[in-house]
Parts: sequence; C-alpha cells; structure tokens
Amino acid sequence: MIAASNISLTKNGRAILNSVNVDVQPGSFTAMAGPNGAGKSSFLKIISNETQGYRGSVLLNGKAINNYTAIALAKVRAVLPQNTHLQFPFSVQQVVEMGRQYSGRSKNINGTLLEEVMDLTGTHNLRERNYLTLSGGEQQRVQLARVLAQVWEEQDFPRYILLDEPTSSLDIARQQLIFGLVKKACARNIGVLAIVHDLNQVSQFADQLYLLKDGHIAAKGSPREIFTKPIIEETFCCKVNVYNDPCTNCPYIVPENEFNISSSITVNS
Amino acid sequence: MATAVLTLKQVKNPAILSGLSALLIALFLISLSIGQVVIPVGDILKIVLNKTGLFSFQVNEVFEAVLWSIRLPRLVMTVLIGAALAVSGAALQGLFRNPLVEPGLIGVSSGSALGMVVLIVFGSSFIEANSVLGHFIVPVIAFGGGLLATYLVMKISEQVGKTNIAVLILGGVAVNALAAALIGYAIFYADENQLRTFTFWTLGDLGGASWEKLWVAAPILIFATVWLLLFPNELNAIAVGEAEAFHMGVDVEKVKKLIIVLCALAVGVSVSLSGVIGFIGLVVPHLIRITFHADNRLILPASLLGGPILLIVADLIARTVVAPSELPIGVVTGLIGAPVFITLLLRAKSKQELMIR
Repeated sequence: MIAASNISLTKNGRAILNSVNVDVQPGSFTAMAGPNGAGKSSFLKIISNETQGYRGSVLLNGKAINNYTAIALAKVRAVLPQNTHLQFPFSVQQVVEMGRQYSGRSKNINGTLLEEVMDLTGTHNLRERNYLTLSGGEQQRVQLARVLAQVWEEQDFPRYILLDEPTSSLDIARQQLIFGLVKKACARNIGVLAIVHDLNQVSQFADQLYLLKDGHIAAKGSPREIFTKPIIEETFCCKVNVYNDPCTNCPYIVPENEFNISSSITVNS
Repeated sequence: MATAVLTLKQVKNPAILSGLSALLIALFLISLSIGQVVIPVGDILKIVLNKTGLFSFQVNEVFEAVLWSIRLPRLVMTVLIGAALAVSGAALQGLFRNPLVEPGLIGVSSGSALGMVVLIVFGSSFIEANSVLGHFIVPVIAFGGGLLATYLVMKISEQVGKTNIAVLILGGVAVNALAAALIGYAIFYADENQLRTFTFWTLGDLGGASWEKLWVAAPILIFATVWLLLFPNELNAIAVGEAEAFHMGVDVEKVKKLIIVLCALAVGVSVSLSGVIGFIGLVVPHLIRITFHADNRLILPASLLGGPILLIVADLIARTVVAPSELPIGVVTGLIGAPVFITLLLRAKSKQELMIR
C-alpha cells in the first residue's frame, strides 16, 4: 500500500499541505476531490516522489519512497500528470512504448502488453498517427495507455497508478471507459489514486474518497458516507442537493444554481 | 511527393542508417579525391593500404603527400567535428525539449571561442615555444572555456536542485553576449596577424587539420560523441516531459548534467580544432526528424552520420568554388543549409508536423 503520513508542505512561506494522512490500498480505487487550490496536485507530486522538501513520510509497499531508485520506482508506480506537452512529432505507438522502456522485458512480452493497453484505451487505431495532430481527448487516452503500460504486467507485488484529473478532456462515454479501466486495473492488484472533480463519477466508481480542503483532509470514507449535504456544502462552499440514483443506487449531487432558478422564473412570468 | 514522404517515414531504422553510412563513405572517398590535385580513388586505396605496412603498391609521391598530410587529416577532422556537433545538437534539443536549441545556445561555443582568442592574443608565444604542449593546451583551454560558460549558464538556471529550462536559455543569451564582448575586448589587443585569424573563430575553418592535433583531440571527440549516443531512451522519455520522464524511471537531473558536460566536451574540442561552425548542430537533427521521425533511437545515430555528410559536402564546396582560395566553412553551411532548412520547414508546416505548438 501507499502510506502517506503527516505530510506537510510549505512553499514560499505559505502552507500548502498540513498533516495529511492518506492510504492507497492495492486493488482498490481511492479518489481525491476538493476545491481548486486545495493542494491535491501538490500531494500527488509528493507521493510520486517528484517534490522534495516536505515533512512527513511516504511508504510504498513498506519501503520509504526516497529509498527507491528512479527505475525501481517506475516499476511500482506510474503517474499521469494533468497536462503533458510533447514538443516533437512522435507517433502514438512510440509514446505508448516509452512506458515499457525500463521494464527489462523481452520485445514479445512488451508487445503483447502494448496491444492490450492500446485496446483497453481505444488508441489502437491511432497507433501510426503523429501525436501532435491528435485531439486533446485522444492525447489524454494515449498518455493513459503509456501510464497503464508501465505497470500493467502481472507482478508478485502490488503496483499503483496516480492520476491527476484523467478525464478532464473526455466526453462522457470516454469518461465511463476510463473509470471502467480503473476498475480493471484494480482487479490486477493495482491501487489507483485519482484526483477527480466530477463527484458523481467518484460516487459511482470510487471505493474510498478523501476530500481535501485548504491543505488538510476535510473528510474521508466511502462516497456513500461522505456524500451528505452538510459535508459537501462545507467543503466546497456551494449549495447542493444530494439524491439517490435509483439505477446505480449511488448518491448523486446536483449543485443548487440560484441564477438559473431566478432567471427561469423571470422568463416564465 | 506526399507518397514519397510517406514512404520515407515508413523506412525502418537499420535501412536508414545503412543508407546514410553508404552515402558517408562515398562522399568521404569523393572528397579525398577532389581538389587542386585530383587523386583517383584507386590510388587513394593503394596509399592507405601501403600505410598499413602489409602492402607495397607503386604510387605517385605527390598524390601520397597531398593525401596523407593534407586531405586525409582534414577529412577525418571534418567527420569527427560533423559528428560531434550534430550529435550534441540532437542531444541538447532532446534534453531541452526545444527544437531551436543548438550547442551555441548554452554558451559552449562562445565560451570555447573566448578561451581560444585569449590564448592566441595573450599566449601565442607560449604555443609557439612549446609545440607539443601547444597541441595539448589548445583543446584543454577550449574545453575549459566551453565548460566554464556552460557551468555559469547551468548555475544561473538552477532552481531548488532542478534546471529551469527557460532561465537556462535566457542565461545562455546573457553568457553569449558577455563572451562576445570579452572576445571583442581581446581583439582590441590583437596585432594584424592575429586579427586575420578571427574569421576562423567566428565562421570556422577546417584547413588547419594535422595528425598532431588529431592525436590529442580525436580520442576526446570520439569518447564524448559515443557516450552521447547512449541516451536515446532517456531523451525520448524527456520529450514527453521532465516529470513524466522521472515517473517512467529516468534519473533526469543526472542525465541532464551528464549530457551538458559531454556536449561541452564535444563542442569545446571541436571549436579548438575548427572554430565555431554554426548550423550543423541545429539543422542535422531537424532534417532527420522532418524526413523520417522523431524517435531518438534514430535521431542520435542518424545525426552521427548526417553531421559528417553535411559538413563534408560544405567543405568540398568551400575549398573548390573559389580555388585556390577557400571560403570560410560557416559561409557555406549557412548558404546551403538555410534554404534547404526553410524549404523543409515550409513543407512540414503545411503538413502540420512541426514540433512546436
């Protein structure tokens, strides 16, 4: 498991994170949500060992994350950042292949894995395309394929995927596809931590949810436990209504929008 | 045309590299043969075979003298410098994720040139007095100057243990300006004779080749260039992003420092041999990227071959069009390189294959 304990981070005298404790269990999907600027991405950078100079400790499968070499770390966890800007015209295939380049596996094994992740992400038909000519959503799926390729291989230790808003430029069908994929990853003993803004997706798919606000954990639990009117309103400073979706039997959240209500009234009268 | 380009993009790497190797060998032999005195290729082979001590063909003595003491060292130097500049350019473009980068940008070239100018103006008597030590001190000073300038640029751009690329490029501009000013200052103290050699430092000159210089410089150039060839996977990952490369298992900071020092070594020593030859480091990786593809597993070895190819052609033109005189090599690389480059850029732009968005 990934165990982050008492993580605090100060940048230019401003506290970004304050004693944050987060556990990511293998084989389960942990979501993190919260208002903009709550420190979610900063936290993700710390547990991916990208940021140094924080207080607290991060253990990855029981070993301090700082004691991993870059290559050893890459075999255990993969990271999908929020934005990725390629500067050179690589083909889609070349980008996805990079996820396997330090795997130390044979061409055959890597080839099979690449086929599999490209099928899963629906990027198979793009493989010969120039990455720079793809749409934003296509690029996001290609990056996800690269990230999956890195840790998809079955191992005798749990692996982890850290995703920073993996569905931000995807349509609803693709969003469902991605979260379906996350579940498939969990079935392979991969633990997933994702920063997600759409609370209704969290509600449908996440096993565990952390709400981050002003650098501390505001709430933690299953979506069902957390998605209550007071907790959500308190965290996001936004009036909401919480309903239960009869099809999925999951809570869903609809923000109250005073502007729309009043304007519709004006139109009607 | 479109289909021709399409098929070029589908050519497999070994085929591309074999083709470039064959072209390089052919150009090497042609260039050895052409000049004031035309030496038939057959005689070239005989002379070279004789030098191995295993054969004793009858050869023309003038041919032998021209080939052995003038053309061959010049061609060997051209190949080494072309390779060093193109591979350094490819590595730096990959490292900085910026297709506009060339070795000059991080201060290597101007730092080396400054070292050389200072050495010539203030230390020429020392070089003349110690011919053996002189051959050794020249590349050392050039490398030292290049490394010092690069180190300065790197220090300026360091930010909490990481290199800020935007600051690095701006810092390079500043350090280049400083070096240019200091070169100008040194020129103020130069005599007539020394002044004439300054064209050499700004536009490059491959005419000063000799085996003595190569004995010192060649091993360093080969060492640095070959080591740079070993980073294709790291550079590919860095192309996706520095953070992403780290996530994929690349020790980015270590790779960055190593590549910069190796480039300083390769470019610094090149400058000590031939002055600053622009354009090769910028244009060769680009040509390969536009013609074939952007994978550094191709770009690096293909630059190793493409750099010498372009420089041999440029040198052949430089020493034949105004014979018996010679054009500065930088004039030729610019004159041929720039229009070819612009044409390719236009074509790539129209097909939306440009690297910057």
